Amino acid sequence: MWKETRDREFGNLRPNSFVNRIATARISSIQLSNYKEIVSSHRGSVDSLQVDLTEGRYLLAGAADATVAVYDVQRATNYEGGGLIAKHKSVFVINKQHENGHKYAVSSAIWYPIDTGLFVTGSYDHHVNVWDTNTTQVVQNFKMPGKVYKIAMSPQARSHMLIATGTEDVQVRLCDIASGAFAHTLSGHRDGVMSLEWSTSSEWVLVTGGCDGAIRFWDIRRAGCFCILDQSHSQLGRRPPLLSRMTTNKKSSLAGQSSNEKVRAPQRKVPNGNALKLYSTGRVSSHVKTSKQRLHPGMLSSHDRATGHYGVVTGIKGTNDGMYLLTAGSDSRLKLWDIESGCNTLVNFETKRLQSTKAIQMAVSHDSALAFIPCMTTVKVFDMWSGQTKGTFRGHYENVNCCWYNAQDHELYTGGNDRQILVWSPSKIISDEMDEWRKGQQTADAVDRDNWSD
Amino acid sequence: MSVWNYVVTAHKPTNVTHSCVGNFTAPHELNLIVAKCSRIEIHLLTPQGLQPMLDVPIYGRIATLELFRPHGETQDLLFIATERYKFCVLQWESEAAEVITRAMGDVSDRIGRPTDNGQIGVIDPDCRLIGLHLYDGLFKVIPFDNKGQLKEAFNIRLEELQVLDIKFLYGCAKPTIVVLYQDNKDARHVKTYEVTLKDKDFVEGPWSQNNLDNGADLLIPVPPPLCGVLIIGEETIVYCSASAFKAVPITPSITRSYGRVDTDGSRYLLGDHNGLLHLLVITHEKEKVTGLKIELLGETSVASSISYLDNAVVFVGSSYGDSQLIKLNLHPDAKGSYVEVLERYVNLGPIVDFCVVDLEGQGQGQVVTCSGAYKDGSLRIVRNGIGINEQASVELQGIKGMWSLRSATDDPFDTFLVVSFISETRILAMNIEDELEETEIEGFYSNTQTLFCHDAIYDQIVQATSISVRLVSSTSRELRHEWFAPAGHSINVATANTTQVLLALGGGHLIYLEIGDGVLTEVKHTQLEYDISCLDINPIGDNPNYSHLAVVGMWTDISVRIFSLPDMNLVTKEPLGGEIIPRSVLLCTFEGMSYLLCALGDGHLLNFVLNTSTGELMDRKKVSLGTQPITLRTFSSKNATHVFAASDRPTVIYSSNKKLLYSNVNLKEVSLMCPFNSAAFADSLAIAKEGELTIGTIDDIQKLHIRSIPLREHARRICHQEQTRTFAICSLKHNQSSAEDFEIHFIRLLDDQTFDFISTYQLDQFECGCSILSCSFSDDSNVYYCIGTAYVMPEENEPSKGRILVFAVEDGKLQLIAEKETKGAVYSLNAFNGKLLAAINQKIQLYKWMLRDDGSRELQSECGHHGHILALYVQTRGDFIVVGDLMKSISLLIYKHEEGAIEERARDYNANWMSAVEILDDEIYLGAENNFNLFTVRKNSEGATDEERGRLEVVGEYHLGEFVNRFRHGSLVMRLPDSDIGQIPTVIFGSVNGVIGVIASLPHDQFVFLEKLQTQLRKVIKGVGGLSHEQWRSFYNEKKTVDSKNFLDGDLIESFLDLGRNRMEEISKAMSIPVEELMKRVEELTRLH
Repeated sequence: MWKETRDREFGNLRPNSFVNRIATARISSIQLSNYKEIVSSHRGSVDSLQVDLTEGRYLLAGAADATVAVYDVQRATNYEGGGLIAKHKSVFVINKQHENGHKYAVSSAIWYPIDTGLFVTGSYDHHVNVWDTNTTQVVQNFKMPGKVYKIAMSPQARSHMLIATGTEDVQVRLCDIASGAFAHTLSGHRDGVMSLEWSTSSEWVLVTGGCDGAIRFWDIRRAGCFCILDQSHSQLGRRPPLLSRMTTNKKSSLAGQSSNEKVRAPQRKVPNGNALKLYSTGRVSSHVKTSKQRLHPGMLSSHDRATGHYGVVTGIKGTNDGMYLLTAGSDSRLKLWDIESGCNTLVNFETKRLQSTKAIQMAVSHDSALAFIPCMTTVKVFDMWSGQTKGTFRGHYENVNCCWYNAQDHELYTGGNDRQILVWSPSKIISDEMDEWRKGQQTADAVDRDNWSD
Repeated sequence: MSVWNYVVTAHKPTNVTHSCVGNFTAPHELNLIVAKCSRIEIHLLTPQGLQPMLDVPIYGRIATLELFRPHGETQDLLFIATERYKFCVLQWESEAAEVITRAMGDVSDRIGRPTDNGQIGVIDPDCRLIGLHLYDGLFKVIPFDNKGQLKEAFNIRLEELQVLDIKFLYGCAKPTIVVLYQDNKDARHVKTYEVTLKDKDFVEGPWSQNNLDNGADLLIPVPPPLCGVLIIGEETIVYCSASAFKAVPITPSITRSYGRVDTDGSRYLLGDHNGLLHLLVITHEKEKVTGLKIELLGETSVASSISYLDNAVVFVGSSYGDSQLIKLNLHPDAKGSYVEVLERYVNLGPIVDFCVVDLEGQGQGQVVTCSGAYKDGSLRIVRNGIGINEQASVELQGIKGMWSLRSATDDPFDTFLVVSFISETRILAMNIEDELEETEIEGFYSNTQTLFCHDAIYDQIVQATSISVRLVSSTSRELRHEWFAPAGHSINVATANTTQVLLALGGGHLIYLEIGDGVLTEVKHTQLEYDISCLDINPIGDNPNYSHLAVVGMWTDISVRIFSLPDMNLVTKEPLGGEIIPRSVLLCTFEGMSYLLCALGDGHLLNFVLNTSTGELMDRKKVSLGTQPITLRTFSSKNATHVFAASDRPTVIYSSNKKLLYSNVNLKEVSLMCPFNSAAFADSLAIAKEGELTIGTIDDIQKLHIRSIPLREHARRICHQEQTRTFAICSLKHNQSSAEDFEIHFIRLLDDQTFDFISTYQLDQFECGCSILSCSFSDDSNVYYCIGTAYVMPEENEPSKGRILVFAVEDGKLQLIAEKETKGAVYSLNAFNGKLLAAINQKIQLYKWMLRDDGSRELQSECGHHGHILALYVQTRGDFIVVGDLMKSISLLIYKHEEGAIEERARDYNANWMSAVEILDDEIYLGAENNFNLFTVRKNSEGATDEERGRLEVVGEYHLGEFVNRFRHGSLVMRLPDSDIGQIPTVIFGSVNGVIGVIASLPHDQFVFLEKLQTQLRKVIKGVGGLSHEQWRSFYNEKKTVDSKNFLDGDLIESFLDLGRNRMEEISKAMSIPVEELMKRVEELTRLH
């Protein structure tokens, strides 16, 4: 950082490169934090973690004991270890005793993307609750047909306030906070929906992963899903193969044109289509599209049966640049998809086993270069483009369910069945006090030290 | 200071980021277009040199500047893309002499990640499309239709992630790009792609080349007939095309810029990071490339852009030093250099640090900057006002008047300098040795005070004394005629031009004489009701020898009157109001406008626009120039007329855009001035001050005066110590002589007058100076320089060791008094409660200054505070400490005396990556961050909850568009106690692009008024290229874009004064405030900088 700071001050290093370089260096040094701890208030497995998107300050956690808690990750509640270890206790906890509390496990808890005044929880008790953060009261309640696995709101949304909800039921429901009613349902999956996420590039596009192994793209303004990812459709690398010089001249008039026309056609019909850059909406896959346009909305053919994973799609995470999608399945595989072409990029992630019975919450670093994946009791860090393991975080005693990457502090928070929330942070340049304190601790506590620590 | 801030540029950006050459203003005219971050300048190439045609602000930071010519056009169009993803195409409109917007648009995308290596914009040489690389993995194409209009843009996916350069190839049937990229194993390759507009996709290109030089960073496309591309590496240069591959080794260097010499693309100029200029020649037989040759031409500033103009004249734009206009000679000079510098263009950038000092003790701040980098490092002394370069001076007490005279009417130079004292008149003249010696003019009365003298027609001179007016031949120096004042009257005031004399006698008598050949004729005699205090008949009409108007300043009724000549009829009478009499009046013409200037005895100046035919006075304005009586005199410099107002704060009055401007002269009290244009001292001024007569030349008439002190090394930190009259700097020198490139760091002591190095302390190997401070400690009366350092070990990512060195200046030498080792880099040092506060990596540490038993001193750590990522920037006020963190915005700490501890009080929870902080007042803190924004936060000590009190509330946000390295309290202008402006607190900032700016905290009502004016101006002044001012100034980072608040753009507001009258009236109507009132209020603001 010293050299970067110096190079930046005389214009030798562009400010955005400066940020990226330092961030990259910091991520590469992430380890179990020796100066920051979250004191978990949960007595069941932690299944959902999210830091608010406005300030990057409040961590919302949902757990299997039906508790929801908020932790301030910026401001410690107290310090230990000679003032060097910051303890973050929960700001508040909502549990079963709360008058509106959930009865069963909270599977998903998310912030309202615009501010921290509201948050939303989904539970196995078939309810989605919208909470006022300041009063910790439920302001809206949606009754679902089955256990709620996953809820999501679009951080891009400027014109809607919809909570997409994946449940045991085959239909994905959109709960509208503005009206307090279901906006509509998305039908297509043949089994429950364990994972879903809004597009990072368009506020209208939703991606869902079902227990049927299908990954579906929906434009919520239109009926039916407009794309299903097919694991047998693949490309090697970041983009579909180039047209070779020889064939293009002949081919271009056929394939090229048809795909273009088709691509553009639906866009024009969209009101304010020009204002909103519906890049990924309209232009998904020239290959898929040619057939898709005909099939839609029913998608009766074999294509409708295409699967992204063998088994359940347990996790979905889009990259921050909006160009790729990372999915996890109960087949213990991770797949990286090119959203535009709809192709599987064939990156081979070196996973051994993934949890298969539960949805997992994955995270991607700010520059989309690294993926943080809960792999049983560890969290693995994969290089997004080589699939190589860059690191394995061991700290949880039981399976890890969820992780959240805090891009502001370059920290990773993970929650597991061991009821803990662990903080993984860039190593601090250890100062003299820390060393001295450690030494003191070692001699003093040598007797009652256990062998369990990291 | 306050929340309501006004941001204005005192010194515009000077860092040349781009330049290009083409026929922009007319098909046959060659133009140089220079981009300086957020401004573009258009120059015309003339046989006399570069002639500026236009200098306009762009509402954006320029990322791409390219000239291109669509089919069917006879002259070039200018394509500009900004870093915030706007683009525009500009065309020259010759009638109005301005640029008009042909096309504009937004090329931002929701998807993709902004590129790390900078945005790339390229235009197909056959004008089929514009290509942009803005996001990793995407190549954006804006196609042209066959009429040269731009069509809808689309993206093509790019396999390569780390793109270093993209260029279009010449001579390809389909538009073809060549991409230089780095793979994930850090190897570099080039690839070509054809763009098919029909498919909106790439097709495999004609060739590719793998495993190039590891430092390959730049592509140069070669035009027909050769075609292909040059790949510039650090150790080799390669020519590559489908059919040929030629390489040439070079001495290791990083090429930063290139310029094409010939249109056939066989010769190129390459500028490297050491400022060496090379010529690269592609040798070829017809269209077949046979090899490459490279030759060293010489040294220039470190070039960021090179534009070959014509006839071996080259513009070298620089980011790290002054930009230059150079000529490449056919034969080398004595040092073997082919480079001859024709002209230098000052560049202050990058301003890494600066300090505000008042070296002359005049109450006017000046800024001393650490400017430039590498070998072009320098100190720059920037001050408001005009400098006088002394050439000669003599001690002379009691000068009462001074005039220069010629030896013949048609002599271009002045020969005599008449100096008048209370009871004698002495005449100085240039002798053959070009020395000033005393002489005599026989026809002059020399044992009395001269009231006035002037050259007259027919090789004559007039001298007015209290009793008579004498007409003397300037050749024979003999008296030709004498006119005596009527008995009982003495002449009090006299003035003359070459044909006329006007005299004021006691009792209000006014006598008008005309000069003939050897005769003075009394033409008119009138008596006014009061005594006359001052007179002027400076000819401002068509006839340079004869004035139709006479101006008279009066005692008693405090008025100025204008009389017509020769009949002496009263034309205008203007009461001045107040009780201060006029002491000097002057008629003058600036830029074709006639003015009457009237200086009062208390240092105020009134100016009027004068209608020469009717004698009517309009647009009365009053400004305060000083506190003593002012004497006005015209002089000319560089063919323009200016007025010198001699007083305790001498000022030059000049005109720009038909607007009178006032510039301080960097002299203390001046009693008199007269132009003295002798053969030896051309265009000089004779200045009488404090018992001294000085002859000197005047600098260019401009607002800021910049003096350069080249260091030939890179200064990073500076601080001034008033007590020892020294500056100390931290600097470094790159050692290039040996094979290994290493740096040597110094602490240098400079004299604050001569700027000579008077002492140097060399730091250890790997040790770098990071911070510097002049301070004193409690219980010790001495002042010290404290220097914070870091040991940057090659094997360490972060410095884990540093030092704090405490020096005293003894006999002009740096004496090390104490040193303290630290556990990291000392990024900042502050004097704090008689102690020393250091920011060391992530920690804030307070040190006490302790006296040891043996009488020596040491720094002893008292307490500290953790909790930062890197505490880079620290400011203190009382017990409060404001920290700007590397990436966690601003936090406020407090020192608790009782506990002897530092605690966090509040924090801004936004994720701002800081570049500078400053404390505006107890409550408001100012920050500059990585995305070129400014913001202010407020301490919320009245908050109801801990949570509220612990939060610094963001109260102001603004996009400055400049990377700020340092804020300092202070001002560049003289603060006059009697003006409103004098009460406004200001902070100065310095940026990477060489901008010096002022942030002024305004009272709320003034802010509201100016905000309204700014809103109106946004409607009237349209941004170049259709870019929106509102968007440009909106706070912008990766996370959010919000409208600017509680900051005003002073540059926009002050551009009100440059508007035409009808547009001013439009605004005045919308604001329902008279134009004059608006002008007055805006003009006042311009005096802030």
